Amino acid sequence: MARVTLKGMLARKLRLTLTALAIVVGVMFVAGTLILTDTLHRTFDGLVGTAYRNISFEIRGQTTLTGVGNASPNSTADRRPIPDTLVTVVRRLPGVGYAYGSVAGYAQFVARDGSAIGGAAHSNEGFSFDPNSQLSPLRLVRGGAPTGPGEVVMDRATATKYGFTVGDRVRVLLPGAPQTFRISGLVTFGDDGNLAGTTLAGFSLTTAQALFNSRGHYDSINVLAKPGTDQVALQRAIADVLPPGVEVVSGQTIANELYRAINNALSFLSTALLVFAFISLFVGAFTIANTFTITIGQRTRELALLRVVGAGRGQILRSVLAEAAITGLVASAIGLGLGVLAALGLKALLKGFGITLPSAPLVFEARTVVASIAVGVGVTLLSAVAPARRAVRIPPIAALAEHVEDTAQAHPQERLIGGGTALFIALIAIVKGVLKPAIGLVGLGALAGFIAAVLLLPLFAGPLAGGLGRPLANLTGAPGSIGLRNATRNPRRTAQTAAALMIGLMLVSTVAVLGASLSSSATQSIDSAVSADYVIGGSGRFSDSVFPTVARLPGVSAITAVLTGQFDFKGSLESLGAVSTPGLSQTVNLHVTKGRGAAALAAGELLVDTTTARSDHVHVGSVVPVTFAQTGSTTIRVGGIFKPNSSAGSYIVSARYFLAHFDHPLLDAVLVRTAPGTRHFGATLNRALAAYPNLTIDTRAQFEAAQQGSVNQLLGLVYVLLALAVLVALIGIVNTLMLSVFERTREIGLLRAVGMRRGQVRAMIRVEAVVVSLLGAVVGVVVGTALGAALASSLRNNGITTVSIPFASLIGFLVLSALLGLAAASWPARRAANLDVLAAIAVE
Amino acid sequence: MPSAEEDLVPAARAVELTKTYGRGEAVVRALDDVTVAFERARFTAVMGPSGSGKSTLMHCLAGLDTPTSGQAFVGEKELGRLDDAGLTQLRRDRIGFVFQAFNLIPTLTAEENISLPADLAGAHLDRAWFDELVGSLGIADRLGHRPSELSGGQQQRVACARALISRPDLLFADEPTGNLDSSASAELLEFLRGSVDEHGQSVVMVTHDPHGASYADRVVFLADGRVVGDLQAPTTDAVLEQMKQLGS
Repeated sequence: MARVTLKGMLARKLRLTLTALAIVVGVMFVAGTLILTDTLHRTFDGLVGTAYRNISFEIRGQTTLTGVGNASPNSTADRRPIPDTLVTVVRRLPGVGYAYGSVAGYAQFVARDGSAIGGAAHSNEGFSFDPNSQLSPLRLVRGGAPTGPGEVVMDRATATKYGFTVGDRVRVLLPGAPQTFRISGLVTFGDDGNLAGTTLAGFSLTTAQALFNSRGHYDSINVLAKPGTDQVALQRAIADVLPPGVEVVSGQTIANELYRAINNALSFLSTALLVFAFISLFVGAFTIANTFTITIGQRTRELALLRVVGAGRGQILRSVLAEAAITGLVASAIGLGLGVLAALGLKALLKGFGITLPSAPLVFEARTVVASIAVGVGVTLLSAVAPARRAVRIPPIAALAEHVEDTAQAHPQERLIGGGTALFIALIAIVKGVLKPAIGLVGLGALAGFIAAVLLLPLFAGPLAGGLGRPLANLTGAPGSIGLRNATRNPRRTAQTAAALMIGLMLVSTVAVLGASLSSSATQSIDSAVSADYVIGGSGRFSDSVFPTVARLPGVSAITAVLTGQFDFKGSLESLGAVSTPGLSQTVNLHVTKGRGAAALAAGELLVDTTTARSDHVHVGSVVPVTFAQTGSTTIRVGGIFKPNSSAGSYIVSARYFLAHFDHPLLDAVLVRTAPGTRHFGATLNRALAAYPNLTIDTRAQFEAAQQGSVNQLLGLVYVLLALAVLVALIGIVNTLMLSVFERTREIGLLRAVGMRRGQVRAMIRVEAVVVSLLGAVVGVVVGTALGAALASSLRNNGITTVSIPFASLIGFLVLSALLGLAAASWPARRAANLDVLAAIAVE
Repeated sequence: MPSAEEDLVPAARAVELTKTYGRGEAVVRALDDVTVAFERARFTAVMGPSGSGKSTLMHCLAGLDTPTSGQAFVGEKELGRLDDAGLTQLRRDRIGFVFQAFNLIPTLTAEENISLPADLAGAHLDRAWFDELVGSLGIADRLGHRPSELSGGQQQRVACARALISRPDLLFADEPTGNLDSSASAELLEFLRGSVDEHGQSVVMVTHDPHGASYADRVVFLADGRVVGDLQAPTTDAVLEQMKQLGS
């Protein structure tokens, strides 16, 4: 039986190749994701290891916020600074070989052309340079350490890229006013040019304290134990001399905190990518199931003959499954190999959408191999189960010509009941979920609706395809009519082929509707909340000397500073926003529903939005316990409740209150309202802020456009990832068409003998392809749009305030699907048109 | 090969075999209470016009179809008692088939087709018997070819070899010469005759060709699902005569 299986497979190489292609794409995606995340893991873990390999202990302020350290690794904003006199005390302890303070903060280099170097919030690290090469992970590779207040060391990668060298002068943006420094030396992080894309600016310890508003304090003290010292005893000794609120932890503890943070971030990334990979595989499963069903139908006589000659049911089953397993194995192996390419592609893709990942040689682990092969073979086998069972049911008597029957309508009853139930559940869940709103319910309903669509499609595929195809058929005449009839004569097969495309388009449409809704909601919320004329922002934070610079400009009617931070509200970690109160009504619209707005803020009270007030059970006048990382626990009175707005956040205090509870915070944005009649203020602003190239200066309209731009960027990324699934679906259509052409060799030969021209045969196949594609596309877009609208609507308390349906995009998808269907038909159409007429009719 | 005692048991037997299709008004009686026995080491032909039930009778006796009522026996085994696995094993080890067309797996060579029953059983091929069969069928030089590379006559001979490789109790042939020209037909029928005479093979052949039937030891005539005639030691003319009488 093995020989029959293998020889059969070799004879059907082409068909199996197309089937395998679907698996190759899916496995490639899975492997690429795993390789990428493993590489990132090794890179980041390596960096952590390098940074902390020598430190025995770190002394740092304790944090009072729960949950800190899970999100941002070791953010200094979340811990109290420690007094710098502590280092003298620690140095006197026996067993301490070396102790040195450390301070870090915002420092961004300015290139020679005046533009800011680097971009994202955490990639501009300014810090104090530790001259002890044993302790510090930084290596001085050229020049010397920074000594005076005018010196800085730069990471070698940035120096090379931007043409700096030792002795050059460079401007640096800081929390205070920008300053110019002399480059005293170049450093590397461990063996790498820099710390994974972060630019590094190192200053002498006292200079750093001054620059980062940390006079008299350190962020932490790094300690190196004398060789041979009992670490445990030393840690206890150090702890004994520490004032309350300060802790000492081992270097390993810090490393572990970082490993955990890295893990979280990477698992988020890999999960997101794997979701898309599995979507591709899922669509691939449909293709495989379809192909196997058709092939087995075509091999009915051969399989029946085997049964006549004495093959048992089990042998037939094992043969079909073996074929699936072998196909899956070969495809997985190829996909695995291509996974390396996929990893590179994913990196480039993410970079194109603004997410730069550090470069490093790719890591290929055993787990990747095992997972990819398991997934590929598993999916193929699962898809082949139903067709295999059908193969087993072929009776031996089917070997005789009279008995060839297509057991087409397999359990229409079950399908109707199953699909009907799913549809019912879907409708109830979605309606309830939209009304409440509860996204969980809608999500469940979406899943049920999706299943219903897949189950019920064959039942109305016939008439629907007929309806869609009628205009096409009329256009192309007789060949078109025959092509249309071909598409509708086996509704189950047509539906199964179209289903793959339907799934892809359903997802794309849902994403499109969500994206459009997100985008217009963002615009709406900005329109609603912001009445300023100009919004000054930057990538991340910027210097606090910007505010006074702008405030002094002529034409400024009102100016508001915006800050954000984290705090603990009634036991949970939340995001807190702050605005300066003078002139607030001119720049910000807070639609206060209860209590007071600006007045409450000025009184040092808290504003909360209605959703939060309800879920946290607070009202005007409630006094709630809050905790800040650097000042500890206190209480605050809720002074007002406002309409939810995604731009404003859920919790607002005044800037003065904020500054009293956060040590050296930096601005997030500055809002400016100009006096009526002020002209060319934009130019004025640009000139005044020329010294800060890291800032973006937008009018309100430009700001809205920028937000939309971000949403669109993310949308674009998602579309590309989904495109892979759509590609797999199209491969399925090509596959089915090829098989169906083969099946109808005799019929096509007859048509040609009777007088149909080659071009007409091609038209016939093309019409069939376009009809099947449109069937999947139309149902997919309609269902996807409905689901997207329901999901968006259920998120109305989470920032998506309007449901926006991008009709242009959706129609574009439909047109694109039709065109892709046309493209998918080109090879099968050519095959059909070029059939040797005589040979075709002579086929038995 | 059957032993002396087993000679007394017919190779195949139908007892009150009935097969109906459809329901109510549209009922079709393909077989109507047929009782007939096929002897061992004999060449029996089954003849009749279209719709006479001859193919249905063979299908029921071979375990390819299930009767509506009555019993079918191969040797002593009653087919109605066997489950699918039992029937499968019967077909593999104890019955050989030759159809009018599509006897061979297209992706296997002639040799692989012939050894298929043994491969399926996981048993060893009797190489000596294989060589003898292949030699007497005159296909020794075509063993490495696939069915598409063989002529119609060669394909049927390969099918015969496959049918006989497991030395079955019974060989069923359903219009084996239907697609062959006269010389290939004659060759095939000679071979079947020879297998009965020299090796004591039991053969049941369904045919509508009187000349082919003349090779048999006995002809059973069916019409409208019933046995209507039985001719021993037939000649072509005798068969034609019988068919004419049945026709009227």
